[in-house]
Amino acid sequence: MSLRSAVPVLGGAPDPCDGPGSPAPLLSIEDLRVAFGGGDQAVAAVRGVSYEVYPGETLGVVGESGSGKSVTVMAALGLLTTATAATVTGRVLFEGQDLLAMSAPQRRRVLGRDIAMVFQDPVSALNPVQRIGDQIAEMIRLHEPGVSRGDARRRAVALLEMVGVPHPGVRARQYPHEFSGGMCQRAVIALAIANRPKVLIADEPTTAVDVSVQAQLLEVLRTAARETGAATVLISHDMGVVAEMADRVCVMYGGRVVETGPLARVFGHPRHPYTEGLLACIPRLGDPVARLTPIPGQPPTPYLLGKGCAFAPRCAHRSGREVCLGERPELVVVDGEGRGGVAAACHFLAEREVPGLRQAPPAAAASASASASAASAVVSSPAASAVSSSDSAVSSPAAGGEGREGGGALLEVRELSKEYPMRSGLLGRRTGAVRAVRGLSLVVRPGETVGLVGESGCGKSTTARLLMRLEEPTSGSVVFDGEEVTGASAGRLRELRRRMAMVFQDPKASLNPQLSVGANVAEPLRLAGGWSRPARRERVAELFDQVGLARHHLERRPSELSGGQRQRVAIARALALRPKLVIMDEPVSALDVSVQAQVLNLLADLKAELGLAYLFVSHDLSVVRHVSDRVAVMYLGRIVELAGRDDIFERPRHPYTQALLRSVPSAEVEVARRGRRAPLQGDPPSPLNPPEGCSFRSRCPLAEEACGREVPLLRVHDGLPGEVACHLAGAGGTGAAGGPAALSAGAGW
Amino acid sequence: MIGFVLRRLAQLVPVVVMAALAVWALVYALPGDPAAVLGGVNASDQEIEAIRQRLGLDRPVWEQFATWLGHVVRGDMGTSITSGHSVTSLLATAIPATVQLAVLAMIVVVLVAVPLGTVVALAPRSWPGRLVKGYLSLSLATPPFWLGLLLILLFSVRWKLMPASSRYVAFFDDPAGALQNSLLPALALGVYSGGVLARFVASSLAEAMQSDYVRTARSKGASEVRVVVRHAARNSMLPSLTVGALQLGSLIGGAVVMEVLFNYPGVGKLMFTSVNGRDYASLQGSIMFITVVFLLLSLVVDLLYAVLDPRIRLR
Repeated sequence: MSLRSAVPVLGGAPDPCDGPGSPAPLLSIEDLRVAFGGGDQAVAAVRGVSYEVYPGETLGVVGESGSGKSVTVMAALGLLTTATAATVTGRVLFEGQDLLAMSAPQRRRVLGRDIAMVFQDPVSALNPVQRIGDQIAEMIRLHEPGVSRGDARRRAVALLEMVGVPHPGVRARQYPHEFSGGMCQRAVIALAIANRPKVLIADEPTTAVDVSVQAQLLEVLRTAARETGAATVLISHDMGVVAEMADRVCVMYGGRVVETGPLARVFGHPRHPYTEGLLACIPRLGDPVARLTPIPGQPPTPYLLGKGCAFAPRCAHRSGREVCLGERPELVVVDGEGRGGVAAACHFLAEREVPGLRQAPPAAAASASASASAASAVVSSPAASAVSSSDSAVSSPAAGGEGREGGGALLEVRELSKEYPMRSGLLGRRTGAVRAVRGLSLVVRPGETVGLVGESGCGKSTTARLLMRLEEPTSGSVVFDGEEVTGASAGRLRELRRRMAMVFQDPKASLNPQLSVGANVAEPLRLAGGWSRPARRERVAELFDQVGLARHHLERRPSELSGGQRQRVAIARALALRPKLVIMDEPVSALDVSVQAQVLNLLADLKAELGLAYLFVSHDLSVVRHVSDRVAVMYLGRIVELAGRDDIFERPRHPYTQALLRSVPSAEVEVARRGRRAPLQGDPPSPLNPPEGCSFRSRCPLAEEACGREVPLLRVHDGLPGEVACHLAGAGGTGAAGGPAALSAGAGW
Repeated sequence: MIGFVLRRLAQLVPVVVMAALAVWALVYALPGDPAAVLGGVNASDQEIEAIRQRLGLDRPVWEQFATWLGHVVRGDMGTSITSGHSVTSLLATAIPATVQLAVLAMIVVVLVAVPLGTVVALAPRSWPGRLVKGYLSLSLATPPFWLGLLLILLFSVRWKLMPASSRYVAFFDDPAGALQNSLLPALALGVYSGGVLARFVASSLAEAMQSDYVRTARSKGASEVRVVVRHAARNSMLPSLTVGALQLGSLIGGAVVMEVLFNYPGVGKLMFTSVNGRDYASLQGSIMFITVVFLLLSLVVDLLYAVLDPRIRLR
């Protein structure tokens, strides 16, 4: 950690020297091109990418889906599967030797020994039928054939211990399915560093895990790189992760590098309009804004790319200029040299350097999204907002409402519980229960957004399904609009479900692929009855206008639309019968960040326009902060803290909320570089066997003996706003002001 | 593990009873007196009366079933009207013959399916891959009986290497004689089934080769041979195993055409003669045998799954 905190925060490359005399790059990719398929159908996924990584540094590669960031490294290492029939050209120099020109046996000697990979989905990256220890031992013995089987196993155990796997001796003899996702990723990291590689390439290493586990894994990666002295290439779509880990960054778009340079200089002063847009469109935990600035349009599909700048159709800076479409901008150095230099690929870098011209004229080009583009031009750059991070004057008007008593409730949940029985044996005897939701109480008032956050397995999605009675609750009651949902007859339930709608995480799976999207949206109307065909058509068209879809989309199939458009369709379908409440289960998690901002803005507009209430279920704290009026934090089936948005995020009182907030990586370079340690260790316990008393005590740094005796109730403490379920909350133990230094959330939040 | 096997065997009991009910009902569903049906057209009145007594046909239906089942459990499945022997003794000679043929055919299946499937999975676009794919389509389009006829024509009639009509020679008594008598039907059966299985081997191995853990193995610097043998093969075996076991089951139970063609004295031949001679007692016995074989094979497959895949735990 000290290594990181010693890194200068602003002002260029961290390590030895810039410019001439700097060490040769360890791995450099030169003009790499990857095309899938052959002949006329060839699709260029990577269109001339060059970057290099120097000894001891971490290079972050950021980009949205389809940017070619993963394909680039897979192609560079020869790991593209044979079935894809890819054509790879260019050079990949490792210590002066071209990996692409090597024979397969030569390349195999480099892979795993000098260059090792950490993959995105750790559970499937490990062989399910081999013991973890054996998989690591194989890595060692492949490159050091002289090592005995027993020695290799002993080294595997030591490696597992180093990456923080508890009981490594036992764990080494287990299979991947016996590991949690986070533990699997630790094992994959142990595997990657087994031969002390010179280059470690991590492809979205924390995308598949929870935020508290993500913080642990980033720490493990940092330690691993430091222990082995490896240069790291970190590929991620998450600006926060990159800001926290990288020394230099490389921003990719449409199969090309559009901007590269030292992290603080790129994130602090983005030169390329895409980098700027990307930084502006993410909701920030530490710096809430009333409205996000999305990048209009969709990330490009490789086969539709023309010869010009791939970003041109979405660019707020282009202002209709032809050169952007006709000519591909080269990556040119704008500032500094070598490692410390910043390079960007845009025709109009020069005018963007002049501060007065940074506010480009409203884009006439992207006509459909002219308003969004205009907004993007007006909102200050992220660098500016980073400076004024304490300025959170912009807050939504409804943010004040606290307490559960005030106001008529639209949805009232009382002591809701759901157990899934576990059966075993010949007769299927009940041997236990997964207690997914345990006595949850919650109120949603008309026109209000309540955020429900928690890590995977905490029961938040189950709760959402229980509210609609898509699953039968084990006990408790749900009252919606003055009527009991639990216990309602099938007919009444259909009636109730017209007034409460649901939007699911994956629109691809939740829309009927056989029907056109128009028919998908019309379906609730058809089922409700009383809508004539012309009336339905009119309503669907109206809905399409509302959610920002063009009418020519009506006849398309869901598969013909992009992810963001599909989610708009799902939202339109939810709104068809003019519900009062929309329950949203991770509605933006499957979307790229630039599209996520569009959808979040749409949800805000619809809420203002239609007076909707939302129950917004998400694992993403930044998103929840952005959309919610009040927030409920769930842990193992219970709400541990419930308070107004600003209270939760600025004065969190439950130790879990505090830890969760500190786990979120921030794209703010200054915040990210504070030398953060993972605030929580271990994985959440199994809901099959939750700890007695307070469920969080097994991971809580403040836990006392008393915490095991009684379940803490969610209640108001000392007249402070919000409710907390913690035995120590009242005693000032976790209060916003007097929290122990180790846990205080920090002014940054 | 032992507990699991015992429990699974216990679970088989109701299934076997259900199957037995169906087999028993076969006779009762036919028009006329079951005793007359079982006795055959040429049975004397005394013989029919004896059957009626033995099966308790004057008692309530469920008692009749219980009586029949009781006889079956004790190994008494009645008498074959075509041969005059007890059904049990007929099965006792037919089953070893069929099992031997099925095992030989299964060896052919594996020898065909694994190499061919592997070639298609690993190199679908190479010329050997295309050649094998072409062959597999051809083999699926070739009816096994036609192949059997062809083999008889070439090996027995023209070259006089093998007998056209196969006897059952136990392999452990006389391996050469056993091969001489069983090889042709085994080939005819195995080549076709091998083509079917090869497709499953190819698709599951190809899928495994696209998996993330194979990519991980490659990123370790493992050679392609090692990637296939150590990482992809075992994972890809599971789906093929199910198909293979079903094929073994059909080889044991369903080789009717081939056994008749080669005049091979197995269960299939027994069934054929039973049907032709309206020998319902033998037919019942054969069907019961086939049912039990399939049930036991599915148990074996479950056990093998657990051996191959640590994620499957036997409880």
